[in-house]
Parts: sequence; C-alpha cells; structure tokens
Amino acid sequence: MSTDTLDIDRTRGDFSYPEQHTFDAGTGLTHDTIDYISGVKGEPDWIREFRHKALDTFLAKPMPTHWASHDLENIVFKNIRYYLANAQKPKRSWDDVSEDEKRTFERLGIPEQERRFLAGVEAQFDSEAVYSNIKAAVGEQGVIFCGSTEGLKEHPEIFRKWFGKVIPTGDNKFSALNSAVFSGGSFIYVPPGVKVKHPLQAYFRINAENFGQFERTLIIADEGSEVMYMEGCTAPKFETATLHSAVVELVAMKGAKIQYITVQNWSANVFNLVTKRAIAHEEAEVKWIDCNIGSRLTMKYPGVILKGRKARGEVISIALAGDGQHQDTGAKMVHAADETTSNIVSKSISLGTGRATYRGLVHIPKHLKGCKNNTECDALLINSTARTDTYPAITVRGTGNSSQHEASVSQISAEQIFYMMSRGLTEAQAMSLSVNGFVNDLVRQFPMEYSVELKRLIDLEMEGSVG
Amino acid sequence: MTPAVLEIDASPTTVRLLDAGPLTDAHAEAWEKFQSLPVPARTDEHWRFSSIKALDLSAYTAPQPIDDTTREELLARSTGLAASAGRMVFANDTLLRREVLADTLRQRGVLWLPLDEAMRNHGDLFRSRFMREDAILGGAKFAALHASQARAGTFLYVPRGVEIDLPIEAFHWLTGEGGSIFPHTLIVAEAQSKVTFVDYFESPESTAGFACAVNDLWLGDGAQVTYVCAQNWSGQALSVQINSTVVGRDATAKALTVNLGSRYARSESVSHLRAPGGRSDMLAVTVAEDAQEIDQRTFQIHEAPNTASDLLYKNALDDSARTVFSGLIRVSPGAHKTDAYQKVRNLLLSDEAEANSLPGLEIEADDVRCTHGATSGQIEDEELFYLLSRGIPLRESQRLIVYGFLEEVLQRLGSEPIAEKLSALLHAKFDAKH
Amino acid sequence: MNALEIKDLHVSIGDKEIIRGLTLTVPRGEVHAIMGPNGSGKSTLSKAIGGHPDYVVTSGTVRLDGVNILDMAADARARAGLFLAFQYPMEIPGVSNANFIRAALQARLPDGEELEATDFYAQLYAEMDKLEMSRTFTARSVNEGFSGGEKKRNEILQMAMLKPKYAILDETDSGLDIDALRIVSAGVNAQRGPGLGALVITHYQRLLDYIVPDHVHVMVEGRIVRTGGKELALELEEKGYDFIKESLTTV
Repeated sequence: MSTDTLDIDRTRGDFSYPEQHTFDAGTGLTHDTIDYISGVKGEPDWIREFRHKALDTFLAKPMPTHWASHDLENIVFKNIRYYLANAQKPKRSWDDVSEDEKRTFERLGIPEQERRFLAGVEAQFDSEAVYSNIKAAVGEQGVIFCGSTEGLKEHPEIFRKWFGKVIPTGDNKFSALNSAVFSGGSFIYVPPGVKVKHPLQAYFRINAENFGQFERTLIIADEGSEVMYMEGCTAPKFETATLHSAVVELVAMKGAKIQYITVQNWSANVFNLVTKRAIAHEEAEVKWIDCNIGSRLTMKYPGVILKGRKARGEVISIALAGDGQHQDTGAKMVHAADETTSNIVSKSISLGTGRATYRGLVHIPKHLKGCKNNTECDALLINSTARTDTYPAITVRGTGNSSQHEASVSQISAEQIFYMMSRGLTEAQAMSLSVNGFVNDLVRQFPMEYSVELKRLIDLEMEGSVG
Repeated sequence: MTPAVLEIDASPTTVRLLDAGPLTDAHAEAWEKFQSLPVPARTDEHWRFSSIKALDLSAYTAPQPIDDTTREELLARSTGLAASAGRMVFANDTLLRREVLADTLRQRGVLWLPLDEAMRNHGDLFRSRFMREDAILGGAKFAALHASQARAGTFLYVPRGVEIDLPIEAFHWLTGEGGSIFPHTLIVAEAQSKVTFVDYFESPESTAGFACAVNDLWLGDGAQVTYVCAQNWSGQALSVQINSTVVGRDATAKALTVNLGSRYARSESVSHLRAPGGRSDMLAVTVAEDAQEIDQRTFQIHEAPNTASDLLYKNALDDSARTVFSGLIRVSPGAHKTDAYQKVRNLLLSDEAEANSLPGLEIEADDVRCTHGATSGQIEDEELFYLLSRGIPLRESQRLIVYGFLEEVLQRLGSEPIAEKLSALLHAKFDAKH
Repeated sequence: MNALEIKDLHVSIGDKEIIRGLTLTVPRGEVHAIMGPNGSGKSTLSKAIGGHPDYVVTSGTVRLDGVNILDMAADARARAGLFLAFQYPMEIPGVSNANFIRAALQARLPDGEELEATDFYAQLYAEMDKLEMSRTFTARSVNEGFSGGEKKRNEILQMAMLKPKYAILDETDSGLDIDALRIVSAGVNAQRGPGLGALVITHYQRLLDYIVPDHVHVMVEGRIVRTGGKELALELEEKGYDFIKESLTTV
C-alpha cells in the first residue's frame, strides 16, 4: 500500500487506512448483534447471558442528561457499528501483524516504546487486539497480561471472580452498553508480592468510521504487588460521530499498588464516555492519572472505593477542552473504612468555546474514623468564550473525619504574556509556556515518556487557539 | 412611637392549607401555579440530598387566629434591639403591633407598611416590585404558594438619598398546632439610600407549624442594605425561606441568616449582581441539633462586569443533625473583572451528624477571580487541649470553640448591637443542651 | 512537700516510648532548666505533664504539692496550679483573648461566683503593659494572626493572669528575636518568687542568660543524664550535646 492513500493532518493520530474487516456485526444494536459478537468470540454461555441482560439494562436506562451535557442526545445508537475485527487472536510478534495495522502503530510509536521501556504491550485496532506481548521475564513472574477475550478464555477462575464486580452493569447507561458489547481491553493479574518494574501499556486505536469501541479492562493486583498501566487512545477525524465507551475495573488487594495512566488524544468527533473505578483493600493504593485531550464530549469520573483500613486513593486529572469540546471529568472517592485517605487534584484548561467541567463526589459516611479527603480544582480560561464549571458533592459524617475542597478559576495575565513577548516569543508560544506552567506540577507525575508527549499535545492544541 | 393595632382577620381555623385556595381573586394565578407545579423530587439537582419527605404540607391548616392572652404574651416577648427605628409584630400572619417610624423619616418619604396597607395605598409601586424575580433554586412551588397567601409582613420603601441609621425590625410569630404563616419582607432601597432591617422568626412553644417566607431586596445605584434574619422557629417547624436580592450599580447588599429552629429548614438565596460595581455579602450561621435538617441553597449571579460577591456559611452540627449546602457562583458572559468568593465550613460535633457540601462554579468570562472552598471537620484535639491546659473545663472549652467558629460570621455584619443580639439567641440554643 | 515531683516517668506516643524513666523534682520557689538535643523528649515531657491525651503515661508518678495529677484531665491539672507555656501556641478563631483568659479565671472560682470585670481588666492591662503588648490584643482572637513573638508574649500574659504554682515553659525562646526574648524573659522573671516553681525547657543556652536557673538538667533519650548548676548550661553550649552523649556511651 502506498502512503498516498493516507490522509494526514497536523495531529499524529489523524490518519486512517481503508477498512477491510473479516468480522463485522453490521450497523445498529439488537440482541442479534450480541449473538453475533458472542458467537464470533466463541464465548461461554454465562457471558452471552451477561451481555443480553446488559443490553436490556442499557435499553431500559434513560440518558443521564440531567447530569451531563445535552449533546449526549445526538448519539444515534442505530447508526453505530458495534464490532469490527480482522482476526480473533492477537499476534505475539509485530512481524505477524497485518501491514496496515502494524504501520498504524508504528506511526504512533508503539513498537519503539515497547523496545525502550515497556514491560508489555497490547495494541487494539477497532474491536480486537492485533498485538499482545509481555516481556518473558515479567511473564515468568506469573504476571498475566492479555486481552479481555483471552483473559476470559484462558483464566476464567480469576476473570469471572472480579469481572463486573467493581462496576455493576447497571451503574450507568454506558456501563450497561459496554457490558453488552464489550470487546478488547486488557486483563492483568499480578501475583502476590510481584512488583512489575516497567509499565504495561495498551493502545486503543479507532480506525473505522461510525464505529463504537467498547474495550473492557480488568486489573487485579494481588496482595503486596505493584503495577503501572498506561493507556493511549487516538482516532482519525471523521465527519460523523464515533463512540468510545470503555469500562475499567481495578482491584488492589491488601497492600497492593496500582497506577493507571491515561493519555487520550481523541479527535473532535469522538464521544468518550468511560466508567473507571477501583476497589482498594487494606493499605492498598490506587492512583488514577488521567489526561483528557480532544474528543467532542468526554464524561469520565475515575473513582476509588476505599474498602480496607488505611487504603489510599488518588486522582490526578488534566483536561484540555479545545474549541467546541466539552471535557466533563472528575473523580469519585467513596470512603468505606477507617483511616482511609483520598486526594484529588484537577486542572483544566478551556480554549476557544471549549468547556471544562469538574464533577466530584466524596463520601465519608457512618462511623468511620480518621478519614481524610483533600480536593483541589483549578481552572484556566484562555478566551472570553471559554467556560468552566465545578460541581463537587461532599458528604462527611461524624467527628473523626475531615474533608477540604478548594477550587479556583484564573486566566493567563496579559502582563505575563506581554513580558514573554517582549523577549521575542510569539503570542502562541507565550500562551503554551503559560499553560504548560499551569499544569507542570501534575505533568511531572507522569512517566517521562508520557510527559513529553503531553507537552507536545498541549502545544498542538494551543496553536490556532490564539488570536 | 405610637402603637397602632389593626383589625385581626378572623379566618376559620379548620381550613386545610391545601384546600385554602387563593387569598383573593388577585392571588388566583399564584394559587393555580402552586397547584400545577410538581412536588420537588430528589432527582432534581436543586433538591439533591434534601429530605423531600419533610415537605408534606397535607397536615397544616391555613393561618390560625390569635386570642387576647396569646397576643399579650407574644407582644411582651417581642424584645428586639435596644434602639430601633421601627418595629412591627405579627403572629400567625396577623399584625399585633406597629411602632412607627420617626416622623422625620416619614416626611422624607420613607414608607414602612404592612402588606395589606401597601397594596391598598401604594398598589402600583408595591406590585412593580412584589415577587418579580423567579425562585430559581427549586422552590418555585413554595414561592407560588407564598404569593397566593401573602398577607403579613412589611413593605419598606427608602427614597433616594435617605439614610436610616437605626435598624428596622419585624417579628413574625408562629403559634398553635399545625398552623401556617407566610411572612413577607419587601425592601426597595432607592439610589444612595441606606437601611438595615432585621426579621425575627419565632415560635413561643415547641409546636409544629409551617412557615413559608419570602424576602426580596432591591438596591438602587449606590444603595446600602443590610438584611438580617434570625430564624428561630420551633424545633418542630417546617420552614421554607426564599430570598432574591437585586444589586444595582455600586450598591452594597449584606445579608445574614441565623438558622436555629425548624426540624427541616430550607433556605434559598439568590444575589443578582445586575450592574457594575455592585457587591453582595451573603452570610449564614447555623446551629443544628437533634434531627434537624438545614438545607441551604445559594446562587451568586454576576450579570455585569466589575461586581463582587462574598459568601461565608458556617454550620455547627450536633446529634444526628444534617446540613446541605449547595451554592453556585455563575459568571455570565461579559461579566469581566468579577470577584467572587464562596466558602462553607462545617463543624461536626457528633458521630451522627452529617454535612453535605456542593459548592459550584459556572464561569463564562475569562478575566475573573473566583474561588470556592468547603471544609468539614471537627474540633481539633490540639485546639481543645490548649483551652483545657488553661483550666477551662471540657464543656466550656467546646462551647468557646464553637462560638468562636461562628463568631467570625457575626462580626462580618459590622453591627455590634445586632451581632450581640444574634449571639445571645445562638448561645441560648446551644447552651440549652451543653 | 511543696514541689512538682516527677518519679520514674515513662511516656509513650502510640507504640513508641519517648520518656524512659525520668525523675525530677522542682520545689516551689526554684527555677529549673531542662536542656537537651532535638528528639530527646523535652516537648513530650511537657505535654505529658500537661495531660495531653495522645501522650500515654505507662508508669511513674507526677505530683503537685504531693497530689498525684496523672488521673486528672488537662483542665483539672491546670486548676490544680499547673501552667504550660506552649512551644507552638494554638490559634483559637473567634474567641477573643480577653474572653479566653476570663473563662480560664472564671473556671477557677467556686460555683455561683462571678469574676469582677473591672478588676479583671485593670489587672489584664497592667500585665499587658509589662509585656509591652498593645491593648488591641484583648479584642483579637487568641493567637490568631499573631507573630511568633506576640504568641510567646501572650503565653506569658496568660501565665501572669492565671498565677500558677508551677509553670513549664516549653522552648519559649524559639522563634524570638533578641528584643522579644528580653521582654518575655522579663515577664517570667517578674513572676519568680517563693510562690512559683518553674521548669524551663530549652535547646539553647541563650535563654538561660535571661532566665537564670537554679539548676540545670540535661535530657537525652528520655532520661535526665546530668544535673548541675547554671554553669552546666555554659559547658553544654561550649562542648555541644555530643560531648554528653559520648560521655554516656563510655560509662
């Protein structure tokens, strides 16, 4: 294939290859769609049953429009394609991956990153992983890292125990949708005491138009283990809406540590409606580092249920709402045991007519003692047409707990920009520097490779937003 | 001052409030609206965390009459500030006494009238300002009910440039089992005028009743209005209070509510910063005990550039009391140079107490300074130890800390006599149990 | 016996023992100094004697004029005649300094007896003048927004007003410039006399130039390891705490 079939734009993810799918569930969503997906995947009956029930739940649930943007009403579920794949089993070597798919991920830099610093990689193209591999040394420690389809088949005893337990099907309309049609995503199990030194990475790529990607990720860190998982996401810019609706469940057993890092760079046609939640058992730590760039509308509120004594939950969130975009993000912290602590730091930037919304939920109920929450939300507005909202809800009971919430809204001062321009920077450069300065303390919490990527993405978004 | 007692309206006592119908034909539209609006549901964002069950009005009657003994007793108990410019006392929506304004103020055009008189003698002026702002924080149904029943309360009109130094006071008593009242306070302060107004909401005994109050403040250019409400209904009462404050150019509004009474008290307070240079200070102090629920909703709307608002709400919660604070700052497009601040602080004194905080921001202009904060915590051990180490007994130490916590808000009022009066009410409630 | 007597005191915070068998007697009328390196347990000692609930006395006794105070709550100990000048005085928002001291004095009166306001203010102003404190400090919230020096002066003011039998001054010199140190020390010295026993806890010898002690004790790892006259402080200043520690290990 020659490169002239590509349409390349200024952002790295905005290109696509012609489609040629072996497996295609067609357009629209019915119980037949479920049977098709389940059949193609050769799933056991309990999963097929689970999917059918979830579809009923999805159909019965109203759109959560009171809680979010009315833009959700513009999703036409009958026009979406729910399952597209070329093969059912991911390859273990890039050499075996089909040319288009391989080149897609090469352009996104995945194989190179794998060589440099990753403990394992899974690359999903539309509905299925096309590549999945884990470094031998990590696999030998008993770490399982594969796609959800594979996890379900090869490790049913672990998979079934936790699947759908952190986020029940009926949690919200989109978790129900995912539960009905999920495909792809990662399944990770880290045995007791194993500390995975390098990150495991998944990359989610949408290639097809009018497509819905519904990956399902389940990570279980057994007692005293540690793991860092990173996910990246892109899609080309299509005229029509694309839907991405994932469900991510994390389980951190006693003393385990999970870090989950997301850097998404969706194109502006993607509805990104993701449910992410973790359970942290005694003395476990779960940290969500969430960076939301692009998409038409993102709704995502990573949460931690602090179930065991001294468990700790953290959400670090950066959202950049470009022109015409709405980043509706936040965090949920449910304290359910003594001496649990949670920390939320959210920074958002609104550009052009972009809108960044923070929604938070902190719950410290009943007779718990020694629970603490700290929340900080800072919003930066770049243009007079930009918008930011903050809607936290905090419930604290009893005399042994405390919570503190602070939020502020600011803008880049004209004086600051003038100062930098007087030193010869362009206005856009000055703006980018200021914005990077605003998020710098959070960006530093990302692994180096990702923080570089993040800065580049912010610079790209800032271009064209000035003037 | 010359006391003037008006005729008591002897309406029948047994009428259920929900069957009461409009007060007059002129109130019919409001009554229809009340009937057509849905009962609040918790799924409505404005009623999130609220105990909706508490809002059942079916058990209440229309306002009940007052007998002579009660009248004398209530009048005797209506002690306000040592010095005031005027005082009216109402009980069950009936005017008991009116201590009028000084002649000098009347000569300068100040009007201070009971509602019925305002409607009768200054109808156009009154109607041009009576309930002109919609209740936008969820209480529209209650506002409609109030509009269909409002007969008691005061209309205060302060002409351009007139400054009234001493506070004006109104007492509203809710007495008898299962009765209802609809206190109304309407203050129109013309340009460059200045006034302070205090509403006392009281019950003489611990009977259950329903109070549905509305207070609207209109501030012309450069006007300064301080409004204080001491909500001290009985601990069994159901109360709803809806406020709207419209702040003109360079005008300054300051409002303080002290929440002490009611088993469920809902308060909705909206400040419209409608012209440049306006400022609104929104203050509240709550002492919630037993199973009380104090449900406070606020809205700081910056509709014009160069406006400021500053909200400070403090809640002290004991026993199994609950509070809900939901506050929103909105900066409308074009309202640049807005300076908005909002802070709620909850002090939890028991393991059963529950504080819900929903501080919100909606910002649609970029050159602004907006911050909000919400904290919930308890008396710090180190703070307590410091007082104990000086020999102050535990109970007394706790009381000092709680008073100190609340005192900051009262001091923001900038009026020593009123702060002292409110302090006394607040201490009386807290000391009764501690 | 008229003394603050500490016998074989053991104090833990959580699982950790900080004071490990400390014995010390401060007779009324004397000023004793405790010096020690950081982490030796000096502040723990003051909090434990004061009755802070986080500091658990596992064994030993503390007597005030022969009365065991360890069963008493912090406020009862204070009313029994103990005063603690804090290293980091707490800020109490909304409670005025005057009301605070008044409440403390009122708590010392028998039931039904009211503090006489005129006398109280007369006395308060007189003590504030001695400490060169502006009158505005009566209406301000306790320690709120006070500078380090103002907080320490406020501690000494409270001590003067409450007239304790025994005072423990915990690092009263920390954070003070030389002028503030002089004023605070003068305030303490003015209260010296047969009615007061004082235990001055400090890391530096400097304070003891101003408040000259009758006896100096050196505390290391939760015990008194040496006792001497005021010259011991100078020796420590010269040779440092390592000298003491070394002499301990060689024993």
